[in-house]
Amino acid sequence: MITAIGVDIGSLTTKSVVLNETKIISTAVIRSSDETELCARTTIEQALQQIGLSFNPDIKVIATGLGSKSVTFSQSKSLTACLARGVNSIYPTARMAIDMGAESSTIIKLNERGRLTDWLSQDKCAAGTGVFLEQMAKLMNLTSAEMDALSFKAKFPPEITNTCAVFAESEVISHVHRVPATLREDIAAGIYRSVLGRIISMCKRIGIQREVVATGGVAMNKGIIAILNQELGFDILVPDNPQIVAALGAAIIAREATTGAKM
Amino acid sequence: MIVAGIDIGSRSAKAAIMKDGEIVGSVIRDTGAESIKTAYQAIETALHNANLELDDLNYTIATGYGRVLVPFANDNVSEISCHARGVNWYFPSVRTILDMGGQDCKAINCDDKGAVTNFIMNDKCAGGTGRFLEMIADVLNTPLTEIGDLALASKSARPFNIVCAVFAKSDALHYLRQGVQKSDIMAGLNEAIGTRCLSLLKRVTIEKDFAITGGIAKNKGMVAKLTEKVGMTPMLSPDPQLIGAIGAALFAMDRCQGNKVISSPKVNYGYSDGTGVYYITMDSAKCNGCNACVETCPNGLFSLSYEDGKKSAVIKKEMLKKISQVCPGISVCRNQRENTCESVCKSNAISHSW
Repeated sequence: MITAIGVDIGSLTTKSVVLNETKIISTAVIRSSDETELCARTTIEQALQQIGLSFNPDIKVIATGLGSKSVTFSQSKSLTACLARGVNSIYPTARMAIDMGAESSTIIKLNERGRLTDWLSQDKCAAGTGVFLEQMAKLMNLTSAEMDALSFKAKFPPEITNTCAVFAESEVISHVHRVPATLREDIAAGIYRSVLGRIISMCKRIGIQREVVATGGVAMNKGIIAILNQELGFDILVPDNPQIVAALGAAIIAREATTGAKM
Repeated sequence: MIVAGIDIGSRSAKAAIMKDGEIVGSVIRDTGAESIKTAYQAIETALHNANLELDDLNYTIATGYGRVLVPFANDNVSEISCHARGVNWYFPSVRTILDMGGQDCKAINCDDKGAVTNFIMNDKCAGGTGRFLEMIADVLNTPLTEIGDLALASKSARPFNIVCAVFAKSDALHYLRQGVQKSDIMAGLNEAIGTRCLSLLKRVTIEKDFAITGGIAKNKGMVAKLTEKVGMTPMLSPDPQLIGAIGAALFAMDRCQGNKVISSPKVNYGYSDGTGVYYITMDSAKCNGCNACVETCPNGLFSLSYEDGKKSAVIKKEMLKKISQVCPGISVCRNQRENTCESVCKSNAISHSW
């Protein structure tokens, strides 16, 4: 039986997770649009459809992310709280999570009981976000997946000195047109390093603590994770589906609210 | 005496020729990819306008991003000094200058002689620079020369609470799709840029009189917005884009007359962007060159410089673009170790904004 649903409305994608008493029974990811309410409803309906069900207003829904307060059929919870709950349910040993989204990056810290103790978030600058990566991939005429695969072949990645997405773009173009041109795999790895430089400096500001978990759409890039492991000097944990962690957290909070029980 | 100043900026190259203290020729052109070629073309056009030749020049000073690459220049001076000097020549009463260039924005304080006393520069984030306006003009499909008037025609400006050029562009596209008037989008962006410029100016001192220089000073909408924000009507020279080149020519004149002006301003290294404000202020007038900060910083941020025969600590050039990644901020550093660069500096010349 379905007990709760969680929705995470991101700037690029909207994610939903459907739970029964013990586990995830369905998930859906759709492209976000301007109409938040419709988006949230569509992703839930899609997730339910996969298991042959339709939306029932009696099921408790918790929404998080951009504009989640305006969704009429759900309650809203902060992204950091949902993220913390989701991360803790997958990795109880996690003390820190790095959420890399399309237009934002969020770092949270958790205590031994999985409670949120500190967080740092930025959504005002494209540097260090998924948009930056997409823009750079497009510039090199690659898909995000192609860029990710290429980055593993890098031998001498150049340092992209500009943090700003606009100025970094010119810098990348200059590497492409240089004689001899910088190899595309090296540029790809250089771009990843530049994004991670911003993210690692945010982590350092609140203090790195193991275990560290990576979540969000950007964490699906294996190349980014490989370089992040190198830069941090240890292996971070990545869930099977890093994109839905905040939606999972929202669903767990919703279930706790209805049953009063903890997982 | 015939002297020249050449300002190789990120987007345009400017040259000014002065003969016995009067401007006799000037030119503004796109920098393009080959800055050396551009420098020659600019100076030759400016000289041609004045019926002069390269050999007639007694002294030439280069400034701007490309200043070290000008082969015919006798020396180079930073664009910050040149802007202060140039503005001072037109308006000796000016103490606060906002220079809005193609890829950066600077707030400068100067004294009655045009020597720089304090300055701050943002060249790490495209938000609020000419590049940003170019991107938006492109999205609005309006020539760069018309966006100023466009903003002035607005009746209800649309709010933009961000300055990131990438995000602002997608927000502007979003408004366009909703059918919002172009003028209201432009006015909203000018408001956002104005707020950002004001915060830059507040990090130096806002003192009477106020001047705006650089290419954006030709944008009427932006100037009107800044007048409102700063609360002072800015002084505008006949061509504010030429100020840097004119300042360079004035320095060239000084050199011919054997004067050398040395200023030791406060220097604000760093930048601000959507994530926060990251400035390290080094007061070079207070710094005694004791080397303590160089030895203390665990991240190797500082080095000693020996400019004009004076030892003073500066931030290493290669660190400038990643200050916030190298330095965790003074409060974090203070918690982690006994000595910080601020605590070992006996003359209190160093301070952090974060």
